[in-house]
Order: sequence, then C-alpha cells, then structure tokens
Amino acid sequence: MMELLASLENSGFGIWLRESPSMWAYPAVLTLHTLGLGVLVGGNAVLDLRLLGWGRAIPLAPLEKLFPVMWIGFWVNAISGVVLFVGDATTKGTTWVFMTKLAIIVVGVVLLRALRRTVYGRGQDAVVETPTSRVLAAASLALWFLAIVTGRYMAYV
Amino acid sequence: MNETLDLFAAWLRGTSISEVIRVSTWLWPVCEILHFFGLSLLIGVAGFFDLRLLGFMRRVPISAAWTLMPWAKAGFALAALTGVTFFVGAPEQYINNPAFYLKVLFLIVANLNAVYFEAIYRRQVEAKALDAAGPSAVKVIAVVSIVSWLFVIYWGRMLPFIGNAF
Repeated sequence: MMELLASLENSGFGIWLRESPSMWAYPAVLTLHTLGLGVLVGGNAVLDLRLLGWGRAIPLAPLEKLFPVMWIGFWVNAISGVVLFVGDATTKGTTWVFMTKLAIIVVGVVLLRALRRTVYGRGQDAVVETPTSRVLAAASLALWFLAIVTGRYMAYV
Repeated sequence: MNETLDLFAAWLRGTSISEVIRVSTWLWPVCEILHFFGLSLLIGVAGFFDLRLLGFMRRVPISAAWTLMPWAKAGFALAALTGVTFFVGAPEQYINNPAFYLKVLFLIVANLNAVYFEAIYRRQVEAKALDAAGPSAVKVIAVVSIVSWLFVIYWGRMLPFIGNAF
C-alpha cells in the first residue's frame, strides 16, 4: 500500500503538481476545490434551510433543480480532490483525518440521496415535507460542515 | 506609502490581540473552518438568488428567494470577522501581498453591487413587483454578483501563492 502511495506521489504528475511554479498546477486545483465546496455546501445549505423552516414562501418543488448544481460541485471536488491526493499521497493516504473526511463525504452523499428521495420521490406534484426530511436536512448540513472541518484539519497533519 | 503600510503592519503585529491570535494553537484553524463555512453560506444563498434573477427556478417568486438573504449576510459576517482575525494575527502576510489587494477590490465591487441592488430594488422585491420577470438590469447585477464573488474566492485562494503569505 505504502509503495503504491509513494509511486503516486513520485509520479511525473505528482511531482509537477507539487513543484511546478505554474499557477495552473497546485493553486488552480486548490481554487477549483474551494469553488466546488462553495457550490456543494452552499446549494445544500439553501435546501436545508428551507426544509428546516426558513424562507417558507419558497415553493419546494422547483428547489429540486438545486440537486444538479450540488452534483456539479461534488464532481468538481471529487476530481480536484483525487488530483490533490496524488500530489501528497503518502501523507494523506496514511492519516486518520483523511479517512474520516472520506467517511463523512460518503455519509453526506448517502444522506443527500435519501433527502431527495424523501422529498421528491413521489414526483414534482407530490413534494412532501415530513419530520424525516427535517432530520435529514439537519444531518446533511452538519455532515458537510464536518467535511469542511476535516478538510481544513488536513492542512495541519 | 509602502513604508507607512509596513509601519502599520509592525504596529498591529505588536498589539496584544495580534499575539493572542498567533500564540493560540486552535484559534487560527477554527477561524479557517468558519471562514470556509461562511463562504459556503454566502455563495449558496446569494448564488441561489442570483440564479433566480437570471431566470432559473422561475416558479420561485423573487420575493420568496429574497427572504433567505439574511443567511447570505450572516455568512458574509462570519467570513469577514474571521478574515479580519487573520489580518490582525499576521498583518505582514497581507500588507505587501498583491492577491490581498485584488481580493479586497473584488470584495468592494461585490458589496457595492449588493448595496446598489438593495437601494434600488428592495422595495419592489418586497412588494412582489418583480416576482414574475425582473427588469433586465437586475440580470446584470446578478452576473456582477456571481463573477465578483468568484474572484473574491480566487484571489483569497491565491494569497499563499502570490506574494509572501504563509
């Protein structure tokens, strides 16, 4: 495992990402990771706030369109995240902080899919708000906040 | 000018509050987390409103989308407060950093744009006069908002890579 991580980190791409002075290397990937975070966590926050009772005048049905926006943020970050991982594989691949962050993201994605099913699963004409959707909204908001917590913490390991 | 700025940075760094921020092991990382969470709230809620102004999610009345705006302002306040904390803790990392001034420039543009929108359109929004389709001028404001906040993030992210920060 360690050999695999080291070979990733020492690949031409890994070295370029880490050591290139180009703004298109590490800085650009990190910027994309921040933008994706804002779109995913921010789009999610809008839906969660609405489900938790703020902005009640906003009809729920059209908010389903936030899901494609969130998935764009998610995939931008999944891809930029893999790239950042390659550049620092032996450190990130061996720390519990990174494993915790991955676990949080997996749970966050599962919750997001469950949230969509609960609220929009019966079609656009039968959008429902239930106690379950409120719990899922609160949990979702908390999970993506924890993803930021563990993500920032990685800068310190 | 640069000398004055350096003197100011040195004075600020010498204050006891600056030292508290630097010496604490947890304050800086906690502020970073809150800075990113505030950024997300701001981008999410303001971005949602901007997209609505541009014509997405048409079934959402603009007056209804507007009611979430206090959350964007709360996100901004959180990011601004933690941002000021960074500046006070390590002013020398920002005072000669071109990325910092470009970030501040786009912050000013984004905020003036938001203040302009509130000044001119707030009453119409709250009176539900814009719910169907707003005038095309608000679309320009929405685009300026999205672009300027994106540049705020971009130049913020560039702080460690341009100039002398971190």
